[in-house]
Amino acid sequence: MHHHLSTHSFHAGHALVQVDARVKLLSALALLVMVITSQGAAFPLFVAAAGLFFCLRLGTPVRLLALRFSEPLFIAVVVLLLKTFFSGNAPLFRFGLLGYELVAHRDGLDAGLLIAGRILGGVTLLGVVGFSTPFTELMAALSWMRVPQVLVDVALFAWRYLFLLLEDAQVVYHAQKNRLGYVGCRRALASFGTLAGVMVIKAFDNSQSITTAMVQRGYDGVMPMSMHRPLRVAEVGSALLFVGAMAVIRLI
Amino acid sequence: MRNTARRENDGTLPHPPSPSRKGRGRAGIWALPTGTLFTLLLASPAFAMHISEGILPFSWALAWYLVLVPFLALGARRLNALAREDLSLKPLVGLLTAVVFIISCMPIPVPTAGTCSHPCGTGVSAILVGPLVSVVVAAVSLLIQALFLAHGGLSTLGANALSMGVIGSFAAWFTFRVLRRMGGSLGVAGFFAGIVADWATYTATSLFLALGIRGDAPLWPLFAKVVVAFLPTQLPLGILEGVITAGMVTLLYRKRPDLLVRMRVITEKEGSVNA
Repeated sequence: MHHHLSTHSFHAGHALVQVDARVKLLSALALLVMVITSQGAAFPLFVAAAGLFFCLRLGTPVRLLALRFSEPLFIAVVVLLLKTFFSGNAPLFRFGLLGYELVAHRDGLDAGLLIAGRILGGVTLLGVVGFSTPFTELMAALSWMRVPQVLVDVALFAWRYLFLLLEDAQVVYHAQKNRLGYVGCRRALASFGTLAGVMVIKAFDNSQSITTAMVQRGYDGVMPMSMHRPLRVAEVGSALLFVGAMAVIRLI
Repeated sequence: MRNTARRENDGTLPHPPSPSRKGRGRAGIWALPTGTLFTLLLASPAFAMHISEGILPFSWALAWYLVLVPFLALGARRLNALAREDLSLKPLVGLLTAVVFIISCMPIPVPTAGTCSHPCGTGVSAILVGPLVSVVVAAVSLLIQALFLAHGGLSTLGANALSMGVIGSFAAWFTFRVLRRMGGSLGVAGFFAGIVADWATYTATSLFLALGIRGDAPLWPLFAKVVVAFLPTQLPLGILEGVITAGMVTLLYRKRPDLLVRMRVITEKEGSVNA
């Protein structure tokens, strides 16, 4: 999961990474609304293709992309099949399977393509944002967008200590496994409960030590956020042009 | 054992349809599982782990956001108030968010629903920090998953946080409190709180999905079909989550009762008995 989450380290030099997180996030949200409100499959699929292109241009390894998008892709394919074969009225083709006759429907296929396109379009959009933006910048952008500070603070704490807890969980898990803690269903359940409990205890202990360390460095209950530089006209203009062009493509 | 497994495997090898009598017999063997599978497939497409980006129509996605906002605002307000009394509370909630994130990132495939199920983890957070703060925990955990793991999505964050954070947390908290008032042990109350949190979350998810995708179809039959699609995994998963929750709470009681006293899960008197 470490590799799955640490995504921005290998393409720090790409132009898209240099774009302000606020501009990227707002553009992505505008495109997301366009994708979800789209009445045809062509636009969401176009966004998905463009998103995939950007992800690859960012230098994201194909294996990581496959891992990240495997679940939504699976959902999209199943939705497409279900809609094609189990909804709609206009028959497209039919074939036999294990003694059953399956009928594909044209209107079902259209409906399935639309939902599958929306899933893929939305997911790749977020993928581009996630792969090109460090977490802290994204949180700063959310803070700028007036998301309550307490939510941003909690997210920052969670992100920072997620990796620490994962490492702790792995250590405990391997120790349990070496002591046959996962042999048999009952022992496995008991071991997993203990593992989860240990994580909570560690969370409590860590929160105490983190607070002590932070208070010594001047923490008074509010996390300092990075200062926002003024938005560049070129960045905003390019983003507006890009979103406008996508809106025109959507209308076509 | 090995031979039995081999025999079972031989009996379930997929064969192409054959016009021969033997082939028809094998098709007959396949009829029951295939029929069951198709019935479940026909049930409806259910899309969770969590509700995926793009599944809900814009109007429904927006509606669930609007329902979520008051709970999230109250949760943020409560957390701010608690953090003013105890500076370590915000880091603690952040760490609990990481724990919930890890727990709810364990996908279990649901072939009949075309997606994956997972434990929720909000039962534990609701017991420890209360249902309102647990809404914050769930929302932030889901936000990180949507942005960096493609689990759920931004457009469906409102629906997912509402089902997992609000409905799951409140259901778990009420169950835990009621069972404790009735004299139930921590383990029993934790077990049922975990089960109720999980099943309530998936019932709500099924309702949100049915409302979002039904089109002109009647709501309740579709809702029932979505629930049926989730049953094969969610029934055992709920029990699993109950066991995990009970295990966590009893372990905390045995090892660190002071933490449960601090979070007001048990009284000081109960904590001192174990200390």
